[in-house]
Amino acid sequence: MGDLIKLENFSKIGPFMKLFWQGTAVTVLLSLFTVAIGFILAIVLATMRLSEFRPFAFVGMTKDGKLTDNPTLRAIAKFNPLSFLATAYVEILRSTPVIVQIFIIYYGVFGVISLPKFTFLGFVKFERFFPGIVALGMNSGAYLCEIMRSGIQSIDRGQTEAARSLGLSSFQTLRFIILPQAIKNILPAIANEFVVIIKESAITYTIGVQDIMSAVNSVKSATFTIMEPLLVATAIYFCLCFPTSKLIAYIERRMSRGDRRHND
Amino acid sequence: MATADTMIEVNGLKKHYNRGAIKALDGVDIAITKGEVVVVIGPSGSGKSTFLRCLNLMEEPTEGDINFDGVDITKKKIKNAEGKMVKLDIDKHRQKMGMVFQHFNLFPHMTVLKNMTLAPVELKKMTEAEANEKALKLLDRVGLRDRAEAYPNQLSGGQKQRIAIVRALMMEPEVMLFDEPTSALDPEMVGEVLDVMKELAHSGMTMVVVTHEMGFAREVGTRVVFMDGGRIVEQGTPEEIFGYPSSERLKSFLLKVL
Ligand SMILES: Nc1ncnc2c1ncn2[C@@H]1O[C@H](COP(=O)(O)OP(=O)(O)O)[C@@H](O)[C@H]1O
Ligand SMILES: [Mg+2]
Repeated sequence: MGDLIKLENFSKIGPFMKLFWQGTAVTVLLSLFTVAIGFILAIVLATMRLSEFRPFAFVGMTKDGKLTDNPTLRAIAKFNPLSFLATAYVEILRSTPVIVQIFIIYYGVFGVISLPKFTFLGFVKFERFFPGIVALGMNSGAYLCEIMRSGIQSIDRGQTEAARSLGLSSFQTLRFIILPQAIKNILPAIANEFVVIIKESAITYTIGVQDIMSAVNSVKSATFTIMEPLLVATAIYFCLCFPTSKLIAYIERRMSRGDRRHND
Repeated sequence: MATADTMIEVNGLKKHYNRGAIKALDGVDIAITKGEVVVVIGPSGSGKSTFLRCLNLMEEPTEGDINFDGVDITKKKIKNAEGKMVKLDIDKHRQKMGMVFQHFNLFPHMTVLKNMTLAPVELKKMTEAEANEKALKLLDRVGLRDRAEAYPNQLSGGQKQRIAIVRALMMEPEVMLFDEPTSALDPEMVGEVLDVMKELAHSGMTMVVVTHEMGFAREVGTRVVFMDGGRIVEQGTPEEIFGYPSSERLKSFLLKVL
């Protein structure tokens, strides 16, 4: 151990602390943008998955407007291309490594589309930051979509039946009955996704985003020390993630305490 | 069979599950007249719930048709007044059929009042003020006016079911469907719910009631329908069904429940 970590090496990091603080800001910004993009994308995807868009319904109908007996035609009539696309997207994104997705976005997509090169806030390189949030946002959208879908589907079927039996449309049922109840299950899960992204965003240093991990790399090449900057990074990540999870757990507990109060 | 007063006419209604492996409904024919109180009895799994759920298209029938106010609601498209084919608006038809469930299905995140006024206000049937006034009147009728601002989980089972009934009544339906409305209740609460249903029947509401309460069937039913194996096996007045059952299946069922 004595060889691996030397106290005096920490003093070598001193001059680079600014890189760590800037990296921390980048990591937090990156995560916030990622969750925002992921959230919006997830709403679109979940809406597509749960939609009742059936453009080929006419195929399954007989002349007098009844449903046909032919099982193939029935299947075609039930086919929902929006739901199919959203499902395909979610499954592909969840079944491939994030680093592959990031490289495809950075080298592939933004290799073709060239981004303006500029720095904002004095230290964030837009042409690297932007592909980073796009790739992470797309990935996180797939996971958040599943969180939303399961949150929505966890609501008792009887709720939908009661609402529909009153004559409310499927959209009104979603808006007034299902979403207000589902949001309680969904919100903590979304907040947890934020913590996951803080950690996962470390991977963006591979495309040159100057986050906390990239600060580690700079120190390593300048001072030939590795464990010490890694420990600093560990401390920063822990200080970001641990209190956030605890805060989420606390809010979650308070929300469910409100539930119990209703009960008596 | 269909007369001017026929409200619902069902022909050859079938509902299959698992590609025909389960025949929940295996050919049901029935005509229900305005003001009738049809009580559906039968063993568990005989298709009673499926029948009710098909009536308002909670389940899509596999075969057969359901005419409601002269419109075949199992069709995806119907001819409108000008003879053009238009999409059938099932939501519109559901507004005319109230449904009460075994497990109440009140909306837990809304007060009793909001539970009742949401649909009529959102569906532009009445203004919020009108809806509130009507809701309070209905709550009065079932003795729950003081619970208007309560949340469902502050209510007893019997209270919940009474609210569920008046919530359905808010839409001023032409017919009320009940699926075992008292089966999930503690015994001491069954009476208060049946009383509300009796009062509703006496006010002339057309009702289709699935229940195991034979006393209610006898007293309130204008017709009793016995289902078994996805079919209507026997039907008649309460006197006929309970006094002179003809099929063996009905006889053995009555032996078990009476
Ligand atoms: N969604 C479903 N999938 C498969 N089988 C079902 C489904 N719903 C009902 N059934 C079957 O259909 C039959 C009739 O059910 P149901 O109408 O609920 O009977 P009841 O209300 O008379 O007890 C039963 O055998 C039941 O298992
Ligand atoms: Mg049943």
